[in-house]
Amino acid sequence: MRYSLFVRLTIVLGILLSLGLVPTAAQDCTGEVIELEFMNWWGAAREALMDELIGHFQAENPCIRIINQIQPWDNRSELLATAAASSNPPGIIMTTRPETYQFAISGLIIPIDAFVEEAGTDLSVFYDGEIGIQYWNGQLYGLPMPSAGGLTGMFIYNKGMMADAGFDPENPPKTWQELEEMSMAITQGDPLGIDVMGASVGSGDSNFVSWLYTNNGKYVTDDGRTLTFNSPEGIETLEWMINFTNNINGGVENVSDFFQDTSFSEGDHPFYDNELAFLGVNTSFFGHYKVNAPEKYDDTSHWGVMLRPYNGDNPDASHAGVTGYGFSGGWAYTIPAVHPSEKQAAAYKFAEFIGVHPLGGCAFLFAQSRPSPVRECNENPAYYDANPYWATVLEGLATDTSVPITPVQGQIAEVLSNNIEEAFFGMKSAEDALNDAAAEGQAILDEFWNEFDG
Amino acid sequence: MASGSAAPALQTSGSRAPLRVRLSEFWFRHRSLIGFLFILPWFAGFIIFDLMPFAYNLYLSFTDYQIGTIGTPPWIGLENYAEIFTEDKLFSKSLYNTVYYLGFSVPLKLLFAFFIALLLNMRVRGMQLYRTLFYVPSVVPLVAATVIFAGLLNTRYGLFNQLFVLVGITPVRWLSSPDWIKPSLIILSLWGFGGQMIIFLAGLQSIPDDLYEAVAIDGGNSWHRLRHITAPLMTPTIFFNLLIGVIGGFQVFTQVFIMLDVNGGPLQSGLVFMLHVYNKAFRDFEFGYAAALSTILFSIIFVLTVALVYTSNRWVFYGDGEEGNT
Repeated sequence: MRYSLFVRLTIVLGILLSLGLVPTAAQDCTGEVIELEFMNWWGAAREALMDELIGHFQAENPCIRIINQIQPWDNRSELLATAAASSNPPGIIMTTRPETYQFAISGLIIPIDAFVEEAGTDLSVFYDGEIGIQYWNGQLYGLPMPSAGGLTGMFIYNKGMMADAGFDPENPPKTWQELEEMSMAITQGDPLGIDVMGASVGSGDSNFVSWLYTNNGKYVTDDGRTLTFNSPEGIETLEWMINFTNNINGGVENVSDFFQDTSFSEGDHPFYDNELAFLGVNTSFFGHYKVNAPEKYDDTSHWGVMLRPYNGDNPDASHAGVTGYGFSGGWAYTIPAVHPSEKQAAAYKFAEFIGVHPLGGCAFLFAQSRPSPVRECNENPAYYDANPYWATVLEGLATDTSVPITPVQGQIAEVLSNNIEEAFFGMKSAEDALNDAAAEGQAILDEFWNEFDG
Repeated sequence: MASGSAAPALQTSGSRAPLRVRLSEFWFRHRSLIGFLFILPWFAGFIIFDLMPFAYNLYLSFTDYQIGTIGTPPWIGLENYAEIFTEDKLFSKSLYNTVYYLGFSVPLKLLFAFFIALLLNMRVRGMQLYRTLFYVPSVVPLVAATVIFAGLLNTRYGLFNQLFVLVGITPVRWLSSPDWIKPSLIILSLWGFGGQMIIFLAGLQSIPDDLYEAVAIDGGNSWHRLRHITAPLMTPTIFFNLLIGVIGGFQVFTQVFIMLDVNGGPLQSGLVFMLHVYNKAFRDFEFGYAAALSTILFSIIFVLTVALVYTSNRWVFYGDGEEGNT
């Protein structure tokens, strides 16, 4: 009986070990193993890639054990806030730029300058704009990965839909006016709303800011102290977005209905079904497209990549991308303040591996055909094979402009978004909406700077 | 504790009483203490998990407690409250949305649950099956029910609009039009009527048959039975469900959070009070401000509850010859 039990337990343990379900001590570690909980949002198809990255790191650092804690997108801010503010936060946290700033000013995370100096990390490998946005008040709080650039500067388009509407698929729209003309020709409706859509210009604050920079406008002054989005360029941009939405797509509600319950990353999106011709994307698109529709991804006669159109009526306007503004702008890996120094040092080692090691972020992003914040990684010629539009991606990155933000960015964005929405629903003119948002947002900004300076 | 029962007989002889008797004596002598020991777990839970967090929340509402505040948060007195009442546009908006929601959802749910309970109280073959079927939706988790409803309410592919189109009705933008967001949430709220229905059913079954027989003898019909017997005797149950419904209605959150975005949908037309509290706490990380909002919500619920209890004296009948003898 006892023998039988022993055999059964051994079999069960063997199965669990083979499945990797039983934690094992890191091999070849002569000292104490440091466990590091890694709170991140690299789910979906990226999970396996992140596990691979962690495997490489642990092979080089056997005394550090990374616990990959992939989080759901739902309740993200709640999870992050409670984890970061707790007395036992994760060892290393993946944060966006606004969150990094908020946590930095609250003292929840530590600056990493000392670690950088001690480890001799060469920060010049990063694009200036990528590493630059990870500084707050002169101190560096995280190393970037993926690139903050390439978030707003690109559109993908459906060549077949363009050809069917009588346009040359090798000449996608370069200006707002061309985008209007083509979208007007492609968009079709049915009793339930839009059936086939040319393009949506969006209706939130991120979309507005993205279009603003293609009209030679600016969100805020370079010192981050004065909001400037209600400039004549800003008003013209919002008016154009509203007119586009109303005249071509029949109003913002039609657009909401068209995209309701769809997700590009989950493979359930009108673009996959030839129901949408032009779509503004960030560089994560390539990985999702490759995974969700590999046959279409490989067929470049089916789709193309173009730069975000600019206002052809404004002689000063040109293609432009915006980095570090929105929610997803400027991901970094930050280290909570409450941990003992050994754990923080281990966390930095991992952050450094993610940031600059060839088998870290470089390989991780290459596998997704998306750009790295490290210049050298993007110069890998193999990218041109992995991503048929790599030249356009690099061209887009070159047009990116970094937006200065503060820890109260979220509140200002909320104010702007609410006012823009009222303009889309016809409750305010574009001018009034932007002026109201600027006045309210400036008050928030002034209060912050007064406290900060004081 | 009742003291009518006789105490165990005391031992008069020098020999020790049997263990059973001594235990019995001990229980009797310390009956109050033992009673308190029995309620101690609940009481400790109440202190630790309800009263202390409530008191701490109240304290935080007078501070500028932000995420990462180490040590004592700075005391700012009534500043949070002043800002809520004078500057926060979303406070009044979220309060309006919440009152609108519960103003329709609570009575509709009460009526619906009461009507179904009346049907399920009839003597019909297979009633156990019907009761089970009507209660089943209530055991579906709210999250799952919300996801299902989000699909049903989809403008282009949702079942509701597909049916509308079939019968020639113009489709409704349930979740994309500011005008339809709140009605959509109210419709969803009816899904969870099962809990109230069970309570109504229990109440209906406690009404003595002889009262109905008396009405029948007097020549009364179904309406008379409902009007003069069922309705008055059900007022305590209606009152209970109303009270619970109002308290729950003010705290509506999960379905809104799942079905709409954190802004509460277009033009914040679905931004309910709890969502506003959530945003302030976990999006803006202003925990002191969120604590003040929570305190205001508690005060509103408290005042309304007291008002309901007070007015219940006039319309709740407890069957002891006096109305409102609470």
